[in-house]
Amino acid sequence: MSAAFVKSATSQDRPGLEVQELQFAYNGAPVLVDINLKVSEGEFVCLLGPSGCGKSTLLRLLAGLDLPAAGAILWQGSAIHGPSHERGVVFQNYSLFPWLTLAENIELALSKSHPQHDKHWRRNHAQDYLARVGLAESAGQYPSMLSGGMQQRGAIARALALGSPVLLMDEPFGALDPVNRAKLQDVVLHVWAGPRKTVIFVTHDVEEALYLADRVVMMSASPGRVIQEIIVPFERPRSRRLFKSREFVSLRECIEEYFREDILQRIEADPEFGACREVN
Amino acid sequence: MAAFGNQSTSPVTTPLDAAAQLPTTNSTRSRPPEFSWSKVLQIKGKEGILFLVGIISLWQFVSTAIHFSGKYLFPSPVLTARILWVSLPELLLGTGYSFLILLPSLALAISLGVVWGLVVGTTPALNRMFSPFARFASPVPPTIYIPYAIALLPTFRCAAGFVVFIGIFWPVFLNTANGAGALPQHYRDNARILGLAKTEYLRRVVFPATLPHIFSGISVGLVFAFIMLTVAELFGASNGLGRFVQLYADYADYPRMVAGILYTGVVVWVSMEVLERIKKRALFWLK
Repeated sequence: MSAAFVKSATSQDRPGLEVQELQFAYNGAPVLVDINLKVSEGEFVCLLGPSGCGKSTLLRLLAGLDLPAAGAILWQGSAIHGPSHERGVVFQNYSLFPWLTLAENIELALSKSHPQHDKHWRRNHAQDYLARVGLAESAGQYPSMLSGGMQQRGAIARALALGSPVLLMDEPFGALDPVNRAKLQDVVLHVWAGPRKTVIFVTHDVEEALYLADRVVMMSASPGRVIQEIIVPFERPRSRRLFKSREFVSLRECIEEYFREDILQRIEADPEFGACREVN
Repeated sequence: MAAFGNQSTSPVTTPLDAAAQLPTTNSTRSRPPEFSWSKVLQIKGKEGILFLVGIISLWQFVSTAIHFSGKYLFPSPVLTARILWVSLPELLLGTGYSFLILLPSLALAISLGVVWGLVVGTTPALNRMFSPFARFASPVPPTIYIPYAIALLPTFRCAAGFVVFIGIFWPVFLNTANGAGALPQHYRDNARILGLAKTEYLRRVVFPATLPHIFSGISVGLVFAFIMLTVAELFGASNGLGRFVQLYADYADYPRMVAGILYTGVVVWVSMEVLERIKKRALFWLK
């Protein structure tokens, strides 16, 4: 790993989200151990790692959907005890309620984030949020009528409608084809570039992480833990031509090599590790 | 959900329910389906029609060509059809009386079954409190209540209404509680992310998500309701479909009795078909 990219502890400015000595177990088996993480307000952080490394679990803990066994999660200095409108979530799928139209899904979020406004206001604003993700024409459609990409756009619009300063995204484009994936990545960057939000984005795709993030937090499995943090050195706005640049390719290979080396070391240290992975 | 949730996570179906679902055509919302008798009767291909023609021919043959002592018990299909036509005003009136008992009980049993099922299915403490009682009370065949209900309640209509209510309530309640208890995690997560209050959560998330289970419960309950109703009417009604059949059996007017049985079959079938249409419309969002 190039030393220049490795995150130094002193580069933090205003800590928005802070994870301290976090532990999480499921049915007695440790899923996450000793997670420490600081995310500044307005920062775009990708949690990168193989399946089963607990990155989605960490996101659920950040959302407040699960509670840690030990340690703490703080937002602007106060501990998180459950879900709140401060943290909007986009899941890999099923973020929208299938019995409501796109507009009704957004209106439901607006009714919670802006309870003081009436139905007419909510209807107009739902339309605005849908337009921001390119879905203005589909407001009256039900999720089952939409493609996977459109559903995820809707999910992003709903998260925006909640007005959360933090956006948590759990492999939101994992089930999409490459073209839609690329389009949606740009939607996310567009949304993030507006009134700046803090984004935690879970992915197992190195390219996606390097294209989107200010910082990549690499995680490893069994049990899940942070193995490395990397500051992404590429200037914004980024273009996909970047993928061909020598710097990008070498950083990507460096990360992939790091994951390979980590797995290799763990197999050598514990012969059962590989066997367990096979069973899983 | 401990007590109800682990019984079954998929909607319960009965043979009749399954039969009702078998050959239905998938009509799309955008284009009104064209009318055709084969669609209304849910007949696909020639086999169904051939079987119906065969069974009516056999009936005609047995009732006219063969001579045996109990023949008067088998009025021919032609005679039955004629009698059915003549008795139609009386049968329609009977249907009206029967539905006067059925519909209020149906409405009350569905409302209570759904609301209580949603609350119990999503509240572990209530689930623990109510499920032992439900496990004991729900399997009691509702027909067994009829004599006691007639003795206990002031009018026959009250008694019949009560047993019909029992017949519908349990399947609706149990299916709703099961469905609400087995609510997929992602609906719960989304509701928590949005910060929905309990009543809002029940009304806007749990209720629509549980609708497939609720409709299965209503399908089972409706079949039960007709059984309860006709049995109750056999006991002591002065009007209604069951009473029609019982009355003409007493007079040994078997053509009229058979016509009454066939007509009751048609009423139940049409009711199930109406329920199926309502279900399709309410569950349009299911893929």
